[in-house]
Amino acid sequence: MFKAEIKSETLKGLVYIVSTLVDEVKFTISPEQMSLKAIDPAHVAMIEINVGAKAFVSYEATDSEIGLDLDKVKSVLKLAGPSDNIVMEHDEAQGRLIFRIGNITRRMSLVDTSSMNDPKVPQINLSASVQVGIDQLQKGIRAAESISDHIALEADPEGFELSCEGDTDMANLRVPVAELKGLKADTKVSSLYPLDYFSNIVKAIPAGTVVDVQLDNDYPVKLLFKLADGEADVCYFLAPRIESE
Amino acid sequence: MAEGSGFFDKVLQQDLGTVKSGLCVVCKGAHLLCGRSRCPLMIKFYAQQRTRPVIDLRDLAGSSPPAVFVGRYGYPKVDVGPLVPGEFGDTSIMDQPERWNGKSIDDIVDMRFRLVRGKQRIDAVNFRKSKLACDLQELALTEKPVAVEAYFRERPRGRLVLDDEVEPFGPSARLENMVKGNGRWERNLEKNYYDTDLRAADAVVAAYRNGTLISEIQKAFSVGTMGADKRRRFVPTRWSITAVDDIIGKDFLSHTKYYPTIDEFRIYHWEQLDNRWCILMLPTTWRYELIEAWYPETTWNPVGRDVEIMNDFELFGGRTDYAQIGGCYYAARMAVNELLEKEHRTAGAVVCREAHPGYVMPVGVWNVRENVRMALTQPPYKFDTVDGALGYIDSVMDLKRRTWIKHSGVLTDYFVQRRIEDYYGRHAAEIYDHERPGSVKH
Repeated sequence: MFKAEIKSETLKGLVYIVSTLVDEVKFTISPEQMSLKAIDPAHVAMIEINVGAKAFVSYEATDSEIGLDLDKVKSVLKLAGPSDNIVMEHDEAQGRLIFRIGNITRRMSLVDTSSMNDPKVPQINLSASVQVGIDQLQKGIRAAESISDHIALEADPEGFELSCEGDTDMANLRVPVAELKGLKADTKVSSLYPLDYFSNIVKAIPAGTVVDVQLDNDYPVKLLFKLADGEADVCYFLAPRIESE
Repeated sequence: MAEGSGFFDKVLQQDLGTVKSGLCVVCKGAHLLCGRSRCPLMIKFYAQQRTRPVIDLRDLAGSSPPAVFVGRYGYPKVDVGPLVPGEFGDTSIMDQPERWNGKSIDDIVDMRFRLVRGKQRIDAVNFRKSKLACDLQELALTEKPVAVEAYFRERPRGRLVLDDEVEPFGPSARLENMVKGNGRWERNLEKNYYDTDLRAADAVVAAYRNGTLISEIQKAFSVGTMGADKRRRFVPTRWSITAVDDIIGKDFLSHTKYYPTIDEFRIYHWEQLDNRWCILMLPTTWRYELIEAWYPETTWNPVGRDVEIMNDFELFGGRTDYAQIGGCYYAARMAVNELLEKEHRTAGAVVCREAHPGYVMPVGVWNVRENVRMALTQPPYKFDTVDGALGYIDSVMDLKRRTWIKHSGVLTDYFVQRRIEDYYGRHAAEIYDHERPGSVKH
């Protein structure tokens, strides 16, 4: 059983973030929360999201699983205005999810979840952690685009730096410690990442969000942030590029 | 050698600067990137051809394989017409590149030169008023060679016509009139012709799945016999070849992307027409690359000192822009997917092609399609590590692994980009807790 009402803005934020990696996703539903784990087909990035019951306007559920085609969900989201609420209800008999937006009812057939397993989340410890406003990162990405296909993230005790070096041009964004919301870095650490993945996720994060960027030397980056007024936790992993033979 | 070849060499000498710039490998005579009104290399190829008996008749009768040609200059007002040899009998092999494997360049040129092109200008979109258009549609759909008599307005002129994507053909002349016999239509193409609601892409896939040869589908595609009724049109031969390869390749990919990966590194090796092919298959999700190395003194690199290398690749998400390499990219992608579909497996594929000096003139995209297909029918060499596979490339190819990797987007990504599962720790190589059937392994 699953019945919930959610603000369209909240659902939109979640769907757009997940759809940077996959087209179909399995939500695991419990009485306390809705969660998902997804890895992109090339296994370069993965995402783990937990949406607490409080993120919803109303929430009622027992343990179950729902498989969704995200493109279809996006088409439903286009029907909703920013202030609308969306009611979702799982019709187990017919294997459908019913969306209600105002007077519109949209019944959507579900994706079979029997072949969708949750990927494992790597347990890694990262030495540096930077709290930075997403708007800063978005600015940095805009500067870096079309220069190269990879981007370097760097943290040291004085600040955070995002830089991109191509064959002929380069661009970088340096945020001093005073403009950061928090910084923990004992020494300088830096890693390279594929720019397309990084820019897709950064662009999908809603404005005003503070992101906890966890880094190390030549190691995956972990982006931690909250959505839905702090009731939804998102953890995004991105594997590094290592430029040596 | 033609008598005038000395003159043409002089023309080429004047153009050496542009030819040396390396632009030719990209342009392949099609885009005139050097800014000249005619491709200096093409002029040279034409000059080198042996002079042949010129057809001295204003009308020509013979069995068309059947073959048609739709020009691309001036689209949508294009020259269309049949290709007719001056002989009767079973000429079908002349327009079926699927059967040309093992033939030398000279064999192919001799065979194709006998095809004379009649042409008439029609509107590719509003073609229904033209009687010739209807005749050509019938001709292209016919299964077996058809007797055709063509009356020309002038004596057919010109030598062999060469193109990087289209098969060569002989002299051409304006067509006054054409009379043709009738034959049975290829059944899958006939079905597509009468289905005026079926989209062209679906029609191509349906015919291919039912066993129609790609060259036949492409012929039917170019004369507007597929697609929703009102949207049918003539498609220049050059474009239709790539379109058909692309459509079939994409259709395969919609399945093959989600199959389990192959279990080992593989190399398929093949040589033909002084082209050396090595196809490296990686046990990864779908990614694909075509790398072409043009040696000095080959078609598109006649005067350079160094090997010109160009590549195009796509990762799992596919590509949104047109491949710089052109039609070959899509032809090889289609051929690789044929194998993956047959095995119900997915893989990463890097097609390495070395064009050696014996490859003196462009013969068309079929060369890539059929030779990649042939390569993939050979028993593969299997390796447990990428190192082993690259070692094999070192042993059969002139260019060594360092060069291939340097010019390869897919291999660079493979070596440089880490994956999530690299960080699970020593004892957890699998991404999923329970191995599921059909899961994608790295």
